[in-house]
Amino acid sequence: MPSRNTDLKRLYDETASLIADMGIRGRISIEEMNFLLDLLELVLTNKEQSSFIQELKQWNPGIGEEEIDQIIKATLLNNKLKDFLSLSENREMIQDLIREKYKDG
Amino acid sequence: MNVSLQSALPEKLLMDSESERRVLSSMMHSEDACVEAYHALQSADFYSPKNASIFDLLCSLFEREIRPTYVELLKEAHSLGMLNSPRDVEEIKYITEHYIDDENIKYWIKRVKDKSRIRRFVDFLRFNYQILKEQPEQDVEQLLMKAEDNLTNLTALEIDDKIDTPEEMANLGYDEVERRFLRYQEIQKDHKGIIPLDGLPTGFDNLDHITLGYKAGDLIILGAQTGHGKTAFALHTAKSIAVNYGKNILYLNTEMSREQISLRWASILSDIEHDRIRMGDISQSELSMVLNGYSKLRSSGFYSYPCPNLTPEKTVSIARKFRTQKSIDMMIIDYVGRMEKHDPKLQEWQILEQIIKTQKLLAQNLKIAVMVLVQLNPDGSLQGAKRMKNECDLMLKLGPISREELEENELLNKYARKPNYYLDIEKNRDGRSGVRIPIIFDLQKQTMKDAERVAN
Repeated sequence: MPSRNTDLKRLYDETASLIADMGIRGRISIEEMNFLLDLLELVLTNKEQSSFIQELKQWNPGIGEEEIDQIIKATLLNNKLKDFLSLSENREMIQDLIREKYKDG
Repeated sequence: MNVSLQSALPEKLLMDSESERRVLSSMMHSEDACVEAYHALQSADFYSPKNASIFDLLCSLFEREIRPTYVELLKEAHSLGMLNSPRDVEEIKYITEHYIDDENIKYWIKRVKDKSRIRRFVDFLRFNYQILKEQPEQDVEQLLMKAEDNLTNLTALEIDDKIDTPEEMANLGYDEVERRFLRYQEIQKDHKGIIPLDGLPTGFDNLDHITLGYKAGDLIILGAQTGHGKTAFALHTAKSIAVNYGKNILYLNTEMSREQISLRWASILSDIEHDRIRMGDISQSELSMVLNGYSKLRSSGFYSYPCPNLTPEKTVSIARKFRTQKSIDMMIIDYVGRMEKHDPKLQEWQILEQIIKTQKLLAQNLKIAVMVLVQLNPDGSLQGAKRMKNECDLMLKLGPISREELEENELLNKYARKPNYYLDIEKNRDGRSGVRIPIIFDLQKQTMKDAERVAN
């Protein structure tokens, strides 16, 4: 039976391959590909579990306000992912947008 | 027998794709495995050109201090235009899926290396077969001698085991004498007779004078009883080399936390009592002195790695990594008695001996100085001392001067400030030993210095 460690390695590899494959096939942009790869690295390799990652999990793109989704996405893609963890300004902006999206729901 | 040797041999004798993939996969999943493979292999050891390229990419990331994970590899390959189709991703993915237990990396590296050597052997056979075919009249004696030479280079003679020819030995010797001759001339002319160091400064002028500094490849053992200044000595050395001299140094501490180590620096660099700093009982101007001290540390070459579960194997992989990425010139292990021991059957002194041997090899292979701190028994002796002494290049013992001696030894009154510690040189491979250097150890400020004699 494969160990939990091997399962995690497999999960990481499958996800990274899927992201890269979508990037190469043009189903996502290169910026989106790099962002998703960085996010995967941060969560699975660096075990980052900061409040920012928790907030991102709350975000359900595609459901509700489309315009806010677009703004959140553009903000995420235009900055380095690590900056969201270190710079509170960027982080607060994303957190506000996610709250804004769900304030009526 | 006009057949190509390569085509006559089964491919599986010449290549082992599985081992190549397993090595590459483990480099992407484990930093320790990456360090091991980086130092043991070259891209030419891989049969598949694609695997060789991936190996090069992983090494290049590692050298730039980027952990070479699968994600980083994908990004790097894409940015270099090596990832152009879904098939490229599929191929790399196939490699990453060859998981291994990280501790088995040496086994898979050996398999890759062995196949590489077999291929070189086949090249050797083919080359000689070709010579026989094309120049049948050639001098047999010469042909065999040359072949023997080439074959010898293929066997166990790796770089570390190189045998010097008489010519190489003579050249090496002459170069060394010439270097010393030129240095002597320089000392007479430019340094007014003061001998410059051969290695890193020890932090004590008297010790520098006798040893000419800690040299690359040296193993230095410093023994002291518990609570008698081992860490203070280590940090004094670190200050001299990394802060004052600007060289990079790796400090491994098995006992203290990051906070404790960083606090120690406050008193060393500001000359303020450690207890007062710990309590926060300092004035505003002293706080500025501390800040000033830390600014020196900030721009120094001091790299610290607190590691309560340090093992000899771990010291090897950490030292290799820092040698590659930070070009360290010295590593200090503070201290060896707290290292994790894997074999419960071994006696304490046997374990110490093993650790010391490993560190000596490490110093020689990486061409750095390694200082190991050991604990002395309450009577000042050291378990397994004789064996340790054999392995090391410099053995120092640090201990307080007894109250009786301080009162009775007239010589100690000839110093501007009375010394309170002795630094004994028990062994010195390159110079005088059996020398006792009086020093001043300020326990409160955690600082050490040479005791200065008053001029007669």
